Amino acid sequence: MVEPHGPEQQPHAPPPSLWPVGFAVGVAVLLTGIVVGWPVAALGAAIAIVFGFLWVRDLTGPAAAAGREPPPPVGARPATEAGHALPLADEGEIERFPRARFLEGATLGLSGLIGGLITLPVAGFAIVPTFVGQKHEDVDIGELDTFPEGEWQVVTFMEDPAEGEVSRRTAYVRNNGELEGQPSLTVLSNRCAHLGCPVQPSGLLDEDASETVETSNTVVTRIPATPAAFTCPCHGGAYDLEGNRTAGPPVRGLDRYEYEIRDGRVFLVGAYSVGSVQGEGKEALIKRYDLMNPGLHVDGPSAIMYPIGPRR
Amino acid sequence: MAVPVRTKSRRRQQLEEAALYPLDWVEERSGLVGALKYFLFRKVPGDISWGHTLGSATLTAFLVQAITGAILAMYYKPHPDTAYESIQYITNDVTLGWLVRGMHRWGASVFIILMFFHMARVFLYGAYKYPRELNWIIGALLLILGMFEGFTGYLLPWDQTAYWATVVGVNLQGTGPFLGPFLVNVLNGGAEIGVDTLSRFYSIHMLLLPGAIFALIGLHLWLVIRLGVTSQPWSPEAAGSGEPEEPRPAREGLVRPARSGGSE
Amino acid sequence: MSVQRKKSRRVVEREAQFKQYRADVQSRGKPFYPWAMFHDAAMSTVVVGVIIGLACVWYFTSGEDPHDVGWLGPRYAEPADPGTTTFVPRPDWYFYFLFYLLRIFKWPDSVILGTVGIPTILMILLFALPFLDVRRERRIVRRPVAVTALLLTAASMGVLTYKGAVAEEATAAGSEAVEQLIEEQNLPEGVRPGLELFLRTCTSCHTYAGEGSSNLGAPDLTTIGDTGRSVEQFMQILREGPGAMPSFANLPEENLRSVGEFLEASKGAG
Repeated sequence: MVEPHGPEQQPHAPPPSLWPVGFAVGVAVLLTGIVVGWPVAALGAAIAIVFGFLWVRDLTGPAAAAGREPPPPVGARPATEAGHALPLADEGEIERFPRARFLEGATLGLSGLIGGLITLPVAGFAIVPTFVGQKHEDVDIGELDTFPEGEWQVVTFMEDPAEGEVSRRTAYVRNNGELEGQPSLTVLSNRCAHLGCPVQPSGLLDEDASETVETSNTVVTRIPATPAAFTCPCHGGAYDLEGNRTAGPPVRGLDRYEYEIRDGRVFLVGAYSVGSVQGEGKEALIKRYDLMNPGLHVDGPSAIMYPIGPRR
Repeated sequence: MAVPVRTKSRRRQQLEEAALYPLDWVEERSGLVGALKYFLFRKVPGDISWGHTLGSATLTAFLVQAITGAILAMYYKPHPDTAYESIQYITNDVTLGWLVRGMHRWGASVFIILMFFHMARVFLYGAYKYPRELNWIIGALLLILGMFEGFTGYLLPWDQTAYWATVVGVNLQGTGPFLGPFLVNVLNGGAEIGVDTLSRFYSIHMLLLPGAIFALIGLHLWLVIRLGVTSQPWSPEAAGSGEPEEPRPAREGLVRPARSGGSE
Repeated sequence: MSVQRKKSRRVVEREAQFKQYRADVQSRGKPFYPWAMFHDAAMSTVVVGVIIGLACVWYFTSGEDPHDVGWLGPRYAEPADPGTTTFVPRPDWYFYFLFYLLRIFKWPDSVILGTVGIPTILMILLFALPFLDVRRERRIVRRPVAVTALLLTAASMGVLTYKGAVAEEATAAGSEAVEQLIEEQNLPEGVRPGLELFLRTCTSCHTYAGEGSSNLGAPDLTTIGDTGRSVEQFMQILREGPGAMPSFANLPEENLRSVGEFLEASKGAG
């Protein structure tokens, strides 16, 4: 809209205002809400009321009066007199217009609010779910009778069949015979305690005797083996048959799986980390800790660097 | 100049005007043409060398990555069950898919090498000194982001090398004191590499990091334009050393700089 | 107006020098286009050409099969198998230096130096460089510390990358390795079963004619037969596992004997 130039016309022009736009948006949302559902309608009504109020206040309040004041000619401000009706925006740096200060604060505050409203849920969405809801399935790896006493088997299974191949894991399993009437197994994880590489058995693998069996909740591949040690091909970690570190950089022993025997079947029901193991087989004394990520010390002086970790 | 053209000059003028009109139109509304002109015709030291081309070469390599990456995203499927097959499909079946993937794969290495070369050049020339300290820091950030691009992109083919390099890489960062174990979960999207990890890495690799890299490259270039490029420190006519005592003839360079006196 | 602080001489000098730089560029410089930009364009063309060239060589020398390696590596390795017991992981080449660093720190309590410590120190130095080196001097001959640091960094990165690239590992060697060793090492045909078992079992610690891992410091066995030990003596060593070596007593007798025969016949290529 082009204003005709001339001071006498200006007092009649309404002051520029965004409130009517907000009011219109509110009405539009209200109308949409009638179709979509009552919460939207309520939101629209609220918007319309708020902006309508502001609009009315704008037209009637002192701000409107200021708007009707003829704007000072550029470059030639009227001489400031004591008792001037309203301080003007260009009064100078020292005498700040309170409204401008309010707008400054409101702008920063609103920007911060928007930033927070966007960042918090997004960051939460990206980070929080990675710590919660870590579920552990109990994995059935077959009948206890199929693990001959004193012999090793390389057992490959899916930790969470619903996740599929990505949850495939390998454990080295040895049946130690019975201890006080209870069957005893050594179930070593094949993830290196250094940085998680796949640890290999040093010794014979009887691939021809490999068998794949379907258990109650996963498919298990089992290969009989006669390892003399376990070695890691990445950075040269080496372990004895109890999973104790014998050489190289691993910071602790091999992790172990917890097992339960249910109706003569072996279930893996979780895992734990191992500092070191004394003795062998069923007599082994295991220093066990909560499951930790590879590379983290569980005992010794270096363990103070990792006082807490997320549940795994 | 333009003496022989004088006969056609009227027609030519009209043509030129017609051709320049859109440019003027854009310039009037955006000032972009002027900015481009400033960028193109700003003065650089007369003795700049092939070493100075490493930065723009790195930018070219990055643009190759951005373009080929965007196209690869049309065929790649970031899920553990489909990723490997889609890589095989891209490489073996899609028309020219091998070329686009090959360029992306090898462009990554070239990009990293060029970043190191560029950095070594800046170091040798002492170009990180006042007033260009901030640009060195931006460059160092770009190097780290570039390495992270390499790390996150390495998982995407979902083959044995990819998977295990990522296992080691994540666990490696997990050995950081105190916060390391938590970082593992954030990177993996869970305690271990699972179904969500691949799409997580994919998003970081093709949205978050490239966005940050683009923004930082913009800043990097802006500072180069604002502060200028440094001469070779051993150049007898290095800018910043004042007038050379005895002006030497033009030095090596593919195009001999026109030093016909008095043109400035 | 803030209070004017007195500038130190260094600040005054470097500001003057930058002013001089501006003036010199203005009076003696060349326009970026086309003079410098031509160089940039030429270099970028080379870069794109190299990238396309590498892609072509990579593709046309390799095949659809992951084992068809070509000159620049396979198109893709085997599909990811989180449960593997045979795969030997390797990072991309630009992480070789880090990979080899991890092999150097082979004591558990030093692991963190290789994983986090040294990379963090390098990163801090990288960011702090402009504030550590605040002299105006840019000429290389007058910056001995900086140039030495650059050369040392480049050399150590180069060496670590090279060592990482050639770091051999115990791989379940295929039949071609068996044939090659029998031919190169003048081994009798009868030791074939022992050699196969050896490559599957012993090379995770021992090296033999360039095969296997030297990581754990176990002796090279290429010429172990020259020590004059008998087959029985070798079998005894395998059963006992002297020193750090584990005992292989749980292997069947005939396997021990075949390895013993192979070791006894190993007298080097000469």
